[in-house]
This record gives sequence, structure tokens and C-alpha cells, in this order.
Amino acid sequence: MSSISELYDVCWEEMRDKLRKWREENYRNSEQIVDVGEELINEHASKLGDDVWIIYEQVMIAALDCSRDDLAWSCLQELKRQFPDSHRVKRLAGMRLEALERYEDANKLYDSILQDDPTNTAARKRKISILQAQGKSSEAIRELNEYLEQFVGDQEAWHELSELYINEHDYAKAAFCLEELMMTNPHNHLYCEQYAEVKYTQGGLENLELARKYFAQALKLNNRNMRALFGLYMSASHIAASPKVSAKVKKDNVKYAAWATSQISRAYQMAGRGKKENKCSVKAVEEMLESMQITMS
Amino acid sequence: MGEVELSCLAYAKMYLHASQFPRCSVNGLLLSSSPAGGAVCITDCVPLLHTHLSLAPITQLALTQVDAWCSQTHQRIMGYYQANACVSDSSPTPCALKIAEKIFEQCNNAVLLMIDGEKMFPGCRVPPIVMYERKDARWALKDKHTIMLRQWEETCSIVNQLFSSGDQALLVDFDSHLDDITKDWTNQKLNAKIMELVSPANGNV
Repeated sequence: MSSISELYDVCWEEMRDKLRKWREENYRNSEQIVDVGEELINEHASKLGDDVWIIYEQVMIAALDCSRDDLAWSCLQELKRQFPDSHRVKRLAGMRLEALERYEDANKLYDSILQDDPTNTAARKRKISILQAQGKSSEAIRELNEYLEQFVGDQEAWHELSELYINEHDYAKAAFCLEELMMTNPHNHLYCEQYAEVKYTQGGLENLELARKYFAQALKLNNRNMRALFGLYMSASHIAASPKVSAKVKKDNVKYAAWATSQISRAYQMAGRGKKENKCSVKAVEEMLESMQITMS
Repeated sequence: MGEVELSCLAYAKMYLHASQFPRCSVNGLLLSSSPAGGAVCITDCVPLLHTHLSLAPITQLALTQVDAWCSQTHQRIMGYYQANACVSDSSPTPCALKIAEKIFEQCNNAVLLMIDGEKMFPGCRVPPIVMYERKDARWALKDKHTIMLRQWEETCSIVNQLFSSGDQALLVDFDSHLDDITKDWTNQKLNAKIMELVSPANGNV
């Protein structure tokens, strides 16, 4: 079994830099992290300087994700030895217990951290994750709401809560969470687009019009967001087809839908160029656009 | 309701889909190319989503596009599959029931298939599948003995081969297609690889 450095012809510095990039951009490509990180740790630990500790942490978490308890355990031992009283390392020990489904033991560990330091957000979030893993969504939602009352600026928590509400089909509350996120991140096209999807799902003319507006906003922020483009097309088409709208509203929405159609066709034509393999999906889109035109008029 | 046959191609792609996104709930549509009214055979599947399964716009979009593709390729949508993120719970969610209901409106021997994550480990002797059919106005568990997976061992070995060759990464679902529309959600390339591995002894697709 050849090493990563042989397979990809990279030196240890490049491997270290790759790990840093993945760390900074919060990628969850755990198999890759384990492959690269394990080799880096085994062969080049002495060259890494102080970076080695954060790499142990990163590799440990990735190892848990890949059920590599052997690797996770050895990383944890190194960290425990170096930082014997650290809450951060204790949290990692808790995560390992979670991976082994020893939730009670993990909770005890997190509770001991919180006794020492009630403001430790990492431990609180792990406790909520345990509730999610156990399928206790209503409790997770309740705990997360309580958490957000104290830590109202935590974007990750707001997004997690919106996801929980979406899974529970509580679209009104999911929309509220996404509104918070859009307020603090006005340039994030993904939040606009998710908000629009929630509104569309809630249904009714008013929500469809809101959905259309936010799909359009998402496109303004990122004109390559295909979900937003399709969303704009579908919401405008549905509004235009509704018997409750005035002639002007109908006309406007037909225009929006037509614009969206041309953008979609163009995008697919560019995607289809030279690629034999996606001819089927291109054809399917063309047919779909045609069939929806008929229902609209 | 009688027997339902699940082809190697459909099973392999569903399994690959669930494996590609182990932390998410995933879903997809089950297709049949055999004529309506005959024996029920799930010949293929289209993996759909791994995010926000219960939101309407993308699901509606996917259903419309798959419908269009089916009429071009003489197939019909005859079922729905889902694998829940929470591995210990393989019961159908409200969203699964809703979509299955919609499919039943067009196809009266529609099936709802839940993938049982707890049985998805190498060497498991039992197919990680729970199937439901429409009976007395609700979705009822189908008798395990009426679900046919021809050449089960061979199917398992084909799935293993796909993992060891790295070909499982070829699978594209509708969500991934929307992230990059040059990717093919009909999975022509992967289909070809799987069909290559299916021996003539496996009978039909």
C-alpha cells in the first residue's frame, strides 16, 4: 500500500498546508484528512513544530468520523499528555465517547466541563448533538433555543436550529431562524435561497411572492445559483398560473418566468457543450420547461 | 399485492447513495421499465436529494425532470426510497409518506422503500431494506418473502467491487447536479460500469 506522498508526489510541507486549508475552510473530507494526517503524524511529527497539536486534534476528529478508533485514541493520548487539564481536550474525549455511542459517559464529561466553566459553548453544543444523535429532536430544539437566548450571535447555532425546524416541518420557525441569518449575513446567497425554499414550501400566494423575491435576491448575490434560478422560475410560473392574481401581476410573472427559462436554457447549453454524458439531463430540462409553458398559458 | 423484484442496478445505486452521504438523510425515486400490469420489477433508480428533503421546490423540480426523462426512455416512476440520517430509525417520515402518496396517485402498485442503516455493514446476510405497499388506505409493511433480489450474493459482491475500485464516487444525485450542472443525474457512466459487472447469469437488468 503506497503512501500518500508517493501516490500524489507531494512532500510533507504540502501535506501540512493541505491540512491547514481543510481546517480553515471547515471541510469535512474525513477520509482524506485521515489518509494525509496519519502519514504526516507517523512520518513527520518532529518537523511540524507547534502545529502538531492542532493537527492531532483535526486528525482525531476525522478518525472518529471514519470509525478509526485506533487512530483517534492515539491522537487523544498525545493531546492528553501535552495538555493534561485542558477543557478542549476533554471535549475531544467526550466526542470519542459519543462515537462509541457511550452517550451517558459523554454527557458526564461535558457536565463536568460546564461545572468548571458554565460559558463553555463547545460542551453545550456537544450535549445538543447527543440529543440529535439519539433522535430526540424536540429536546434538541428546546436546548438549542435556550442556548441561543444566551449566545444570540452564534451563526452556526441559528443555522443548526433552522435545519432542525425544517426536519420537523415547522417552516414558520425555520423561516425566523433564516431571517436572523440573513440580517447578519446580507451577502450570503445561500441563506436567501434557503429562506425562499421555506417560503415556497409554506405555500399560498403571499409566500410564493416572497419566495420569488428572495430567489431573485439570491441570484443577484450569485448569478450561478441554479437552485435560485429554478426556484424563481417555479414560483413565478405558479403565481402566473393562479386564478387569484390581477392581469398585471400575471403579466409580470410570465415575464420573470420567461427570463428564468432563457437563463436556465443558456446555462444548460453551456454545460452540455462537448460533454456527451449529460445529454440526458439537458433533454429532461428542455422537456420540463416546455411542458410548464403549456400549463402557464 | 404480489411479488416485487429489485434489480441489482437499482439496489447498487441506492446503497451507494446512502453510503456517499452517511450523515444525511437521502432519498430517490424507483423506476421500472417493465410494462404496467405485469410483474412488478424495479429496474433502476434515480438518487435525488441529500439536503432538505422536506422542502418543496427542489423535490417538485426533480419529480418533473425525472418524469420527463422517464417518458423519453420508456420507464415509469413506481416507487420512492429513503435512508434516514438517524441510523437507528428506519421508519418512513411524513415527507416519505407524502411523496409515496403522490406516486401512488399515478401508479397503483407503487412501493415505499426504507433503507435500514443498521444493516449496512460488510458481511451482513440480510438486505438492508424495508418495503411498504399501499393496503387499506395506508402504507403497510410488505411481507419480506415477496421481495425478490435475484442473485443476492452477486449483487453484494458487485457493490463491494464498486467500492474497492473507487467507482462509488461516480454516483451523482440531483442535489449534486444542481451544485454542478455538468454532472449527470441519470448516471449513464455508473450504470455502464455496473452493467459490465453484472454477469449474464443474473438474468435481466
